[in-house]
Amino acid sequence: MQPIYRDEEAKLRRRYRIILLVMLIGLIGSALFSFWVGYYPLTPSQVVKAFLSRLGYQGDIIPQAVTIFWSIRLPRILSAIFIGASLSVAGSTYQGMFRNPLVSPDILGVSSGASLGAAFAILNGSPNWLVQLSAFVGGIAAVALSYIISRKSRHSQTLSLVLTGSMVMALCNAGVTMIKYVSDPNDVLQQITFWLMGSLTKVTMESFSWSVLPMLVGLGIIFLLRWRINALTLEEEEAKSLGIHIRRYRLAFIVASTLLSAASVCLGGLIGWVGLMVPHMGRALVGPDYKRLIPACAMLGATYLVLMDDIARSLLSLELPIGVVTSIMGAPFFVYLIIKKKED
Amino acid sequence: MLLEIENLRGGYGGEDIVKDISCRADAGEILCLVGPNGCGKTTLFRLMLGHLTATGGSIRIDGQDALSLSPKALANLVAYIPQHHAPVFAYTVLDMVIMGRASHFSAFDAPKAVDRDAAFDALEKLNIAHFANRKYTALSGGQRQMVLIARAICQSAKMFIMDEPGASLDYANQQLLMEVVADLAARGYCIVMSTHSPEHPASIGHKVLLMKEGRVAAFGAPEAVITPEILEKVYDIEMDVATVQDRYGTAHTICLPVRPPKATYTKN
Repeated sequence: MQPIYRDEEAKLRRRYRIILLVMLIGLIGSALFSFWVGYYPLTPSQVVKAFLSRLGYQGDIIPQAVTIFWSIRLPRILSAIFIGASLSVAGSTYQGMFRNPLVSPDILGVSSGASLGAAFAILNGSPNWLVQLSAFVGGIAAVALSYIISRKSRHSQTLSLVLTGSMVMALCNAGVTMIKYVSDPNDVLQQITFWLMGSLTKVTMESFSWSVLPMLVGLGIIFLLRWRINALTLEEEEAKSLGIHIRRYRLAFIVASTLLSAASVCLGGLIGWVGLMVPHMGRALVGPDYKRLIPACAMLGATYLVLMDDIARSLLSLELPIGVVTSIMGAPFFVYLIIKKKED
Repeated sequence: MLLEIENLRGGYGGEDIVKDISCRADAGEILCLVGPNGCGKTTLFRLMLGHLTATGGSIRIDGQDALSLSPKALANLVAYIPQHHAPVFAYTVLDMVIMGRASHFSAFDAPKAVDRDAAFDALEKLNIAHFANRKYTALSGGQRQMVLIARAICQSAKMFIMDEPGASLDYANQQLLMEVVADLAARGYCIVMSTHSPEHPASIGHKVLLMKEGRVAAFGAPEAVITPEILEKVYDIEMDVATVQDRYGTAHTICLPVRPPKATYTKN
């Protein structure tokens, strides 16, 4: 007979598998549900028929239903799933790497850098793909700048990276404001403002496929190396003595998380707070071990953003930007985290 | 010899803090590093753990040149046991111990059943397996220190480096910890520990490296090193070394800072 503590541990592992399964069912359920949420009312049977139409179904289908299903709601739901998963995985990775539970993808200035890049491209009337690319370059440049400057600092890496990140963020935001100031208020200004609010209204299958590739690369890198993030949450010397090549892993995680954050901004603009909230929800459910936390965060984040988008498009008669909805949910949560931290 | 250090030099920013250190220790031995603050104990540890680059000399561990090993290969030889601490996230004890397995599988892998077994074995060796599923952050300082020792056992290194074990523990827990350290040596591990108290090497140490200003002040068996003359030279205060017997007849060495009696003034 094996001792009680081994039984308990086996029970915890079973519990994790069940939680993960429930999360998967929740994600699939909320994604399916989202197909009939929106301005244009579709009945469940119309949704199913619209889906079957591409598989050769020849029934009584209204053409609007087919368009709404394939061109509007499908890219939108897929975008919500991938942005939610990306921001949450990037957030939990940053939190582990910087050993700071109050950190989110914005901290390195990636989101701001990406939005500066995007705004610049929109100002120059660039085509869609160039806007995406420019946002991406902006994000990577912002994190590279933060990282390189922090390496020159004599403070601890953790602290100086956070500081230089917020400096870069301020700089990028100033740049975005300047671009908004000089842009045409009837056309470009509207576009940029709309983008920065964070919205999934304009996503198409084409813009989705531009962003999904870097997201898959980032998610793949973090998923494969995820257990090692645990060691990075320890003191540096301690982690090194466990045989972890800290600098190498840190670089890999920064590149991967930045790919995820920049690609999310490219696709949906500034959608805040997700990367902060979801990792905390994940930890409450499956514990801090990154082997479990990363898959849990990916699924929770995807489900969360799909549901937030449902709220964004159905709460009022006009559609709300999803960034507004996540901020309304996120800000009180942040207050809760700060107060909870004080009590400890 | 498991550990052989020859004429080791190293420090920060081109300035050597550790100068020409030579010492050795074998499996099953406890090597105590003693000396005043700033004598280079921590720098020596950092050199041994590969966190600093040596500017001269050599470290051989189990016959291998430790200065040129990869972090992973070094982790299979040497484990570091820090003072107990509070990590940012509330890991379970098992999560913490299993991190000791990082050097045993590839980067793309996560711990498997064999690693869990190793972690449970380590906890069982220290009789703390019943903590396995509790949160590390909810344990007392003494218990956390034991978990970190279990992690070192789980790492299956041959040599443990302990930075002032028990320095932040209360008196009773310090004594218990010293018993555990002695027990680890008896199991065949080589322990290198730094300590502020010259009594530690006298009671449980097999070898003592007494350091002053980055150099070896004395190295050898405690009886030869822990003497009033040598201690006075290192600490610049007068010291007596006495042997007392406890109620069970066991002899203990104690070090006493002493001072000539002050002239007494009577109130008149």
